[in-house]
Amino acid sequence: MPAAAADLVMSAAAAARVTRYVLLAASLAAAPAAADEDTDLSRIPTETAPATSAPTSSKNVNYIGDALSFSGLRDNLAVPLPPPTPASWENWLFLDSRDEWNLGEDWRLDYSGRLNFRTSNALTFPNHDNVLNEMRELFVQFQPNPTTWIELGRVNIRNGVALGYNPTDFFRPRTVIDPLTADPSVLREDRLGTLMVSVQSLWQFGSIQLAYAPRVTLPTAIYTPRDEPSFDPGLDRTNAQDRFLAKASLNIAPSFNPEVLFYHAGTRSQIGANLTAPAGHDTVLYLEWAGGVRSDIITDAFSYGQTTGTLPASVTSLLPNDPSARFMNDLAVGASYATENRMTFNLEYHFHQAGFSSSDWRNWFAASAQRGSVQGVNAALWYIRSYAQDQQEPVARHTAFLRFDWQDAFIKDVEVTALASIDLQDGSGFMQTTVGYNLSRAWTVSVLASGSYGGRRSDFGSIPVAETLLLRAARYF
Amino acid sequence: MRCVMFKLVWFRSPPYCGSSPERTSEQSTTLENSTLLVSLSIRKSVRRLLHIMTDFRIGTLAIALMTVLAIASAGGAWAQSAREIIAAADKVRNPADPFHITTILTEYVRSQPKDSTVLVVYSKEDKASGQFRNLVRYVEPPRDAGKMALLDGQNLWFYDPAAKSSVRISAQQRLVGQASIGDVLTVNFAVDYTGTLLGNETIADAEKQQRNCWHLDLRAATSTAVYSRAEYWVEKGTFRPVKAKFWSDSGRILKVLYYRDFVQRLGAVRPGSAVIIDAVDSTLVTTVRFDNPAFQDIPDFWFQRDYLPRLRPE
Repeated sequence: MPAAAADLVMSAAAAARVTRYVLLAASLAAAPAAADEDTDLSRIPTETAPATSAPTSSKNVNYIGDALSFSGLRDNLAVPLPPPTPASWENWLFLDSRDEWNLGEDWRLDYSGRLNFRTSNALTFPNHDNVLNEMRELFVQFQPNPTTWIELGRVNIRNGVALGYNPTDFFRPRTVIDPLTADPSVLREDRLGTLMVSVQSLWQFGSIQLAYAPRVTLPTAIYTPRDEPSFDPGLDRTNAQDRFLAKASLNIAPSFNPEVLFYHAGTRSQIGANLTAPAGHDTVLYLEWAGGVRSDIITDAFSYGQTTGTLPASVTSLLPNDPSARFMNDLAVGASYATENRMTFNLEYHFHQAGFSSSDWRNWFAASAQRGSVQGVNAALWYIRSYAQDQQEPVARHTAFLRFDWQDAFIKDVEVTALASIDLQDGSGFMQTTVGYNLSRAWTVSVLASGSYGGRRSDFGSIPVAETLLLRAARYF
Repeated sequence: MRCVMFKLVWFRSPPYCGSSPERTSEQSTTLENSTLLVSLSIRKSVRRLLHIMTDFRIGTLAIALMTVLAIASAGGAWAQSAREIIAAADKVRNPADPFHITTILTEYVRSQPKDSTVLVVYSKEDKASGQFRNLVRYVEPPRDAGKMALLDGQNLWFYDPAAKSSVRISAQQRLVGQASIGDVLTVNFAVDYTGTLLGNETIADAEKQQRNCWHLDLRAATSTAVYSRAEYWVEKGTFRPVKAKFWSDSGRILKVLYYRDFVQRLGAVRPGSAVIIDAVDSTLVTTVRFDNPAFQDIPDFWFQRDYLPRLRPE
């Protein structure tokens, strides 16, 4: 019924009754609230905080920090690790900077890097290896019009919507130097960019980005902590082949902004997609996929080892894998769930078709058992896993990943982060928990504990480091 | 671990914006006059109708039926008034033109100032939905500088410059952190909530001055509504928001908010600050101060994930 017509039939008596009813209900509801109100008002602080200036220009983040870690090593590994033995304690003193400068109306200069001073029981002191400079980014940005940006220099382009593994993060291989943690989220932060030219245009319905990274040097052997160059920019890690990326994102709906990618590196091409969507009030679903013609990780590792002179040509006969190239898929699918009390859970499944199958694992352990006494066999077997780590590529084919984050856990300014990565083929896994506390605006301290578990002949049960404890403090300025 | 912690300080649009005081005054007068005229009209019409019905001896059954209809229509009349009040209060808080503003949050623990957070918020009303689209840039504390958030209906993203990647967040996650406050302060309630006028109430404002207010009950009407329920007090005559209470989905009170320090900003008299009293943690109170407001032409293409890394200080 139209409101105007309804008004016409409203009797005065009925209106009065309704009014009395509503006012009575309101007064009843308000009665207990009055006491609450007094309590509320008494909590309003009378002391005024010192007048805070309102800076609006800063994007710079700089901090000095120290991290000390202790590791427990496994004895009696199923596949003995060739020397050098991993350090049982390490200390990093570092200065981390992320700064941006305006060079004019449309020009900017960006720098991101870290200067480390490392000591450990695996490094002699003093030694040039004690100093390690990581130049993560250094690039000039030009904005010729309000919707276009051109970047030239070492740039970090990160793709992907998953947390534990990003199949579409095509520029990730070889970019991480001596990581402090296995947390994939942190590994995405502390890595080298790639020398490239990149152009991105935005419009209301989406964006397009094109990037070209030229080959400027030859591939080099995988580094160990003992042979990292101190001040080399590491272009051999990032620019040892010509690479090209095209990426488009489409704003189809507020809750659906798919991203499609094409990537070409050397002689291989890949396509990929990133999809996310909210599911209700507290959940986000996401899917990340990439596919292309390639060989499995064993073939790729041995090929790289031969190219860089680390492995002999005969290494290809060590394992009975299929060396042929074929279309392979990489997938990360997951969900994020947030609770009212500031907890966030992420559960993901990762599929890496180029990774080890169950038979690959059996062959890997069997090769050491049968031929491990032959010089170089165990080193070649471990080279595959070193290669996977260097490429930031999972060794396992099927992995479950769980991440938990709790802000203001138990007390304010405490954040608890925990993650677990489980090889679904053998049930072994890796777990890590971090507790961080913001002591003040400038100071942050944290403790990290991690450990791996599993049978002696399993993915995580066969790695040399069993557990790690890391203490960290940082002062921002 | 070199983890840069996510501390989500979600913000929507700042709380002032909207009409001029003159316009507010006109709205007040118009609303009260129209309510009075409708009331008189109803009484006259009902009297005339009753007289006619008696003359034609239709009977008590018809009268009873009309009484039921009248009660039902009374509910409609209250809801209409509630919506107008809420919309008018929204206009006191939010201007129609796009703008940016610096928001300074100071957190008090047991009445002692502890942390402060500085954000710059870029807001633009979406003409289609009537709701605000917001971009938030973190300025302080130093560890959070450069982080960004896009808060645009269901299009919610968080960008961390350390990771150089954007993560979609859920509506629940925009509630995380002390300054979900931003949502409380600035959302256009008339768009996201259905209001019911509970009645008139005189309450104390943040300065403990008595204010004669409309007391409204708000229930979420859209999927983008941040809170499932809110209570809202709007000062009669000025349409200034005075106080609000917000509930979680599970039915507990999350926070109580007082608007205060009404000053001339962005073309009208609007709240210059607010106090948020945490109803879950009894030791926690947050004050919000607004600085450097300015109208700014904000293109629509800014409100997408890929613009977050491009947002620069003005």
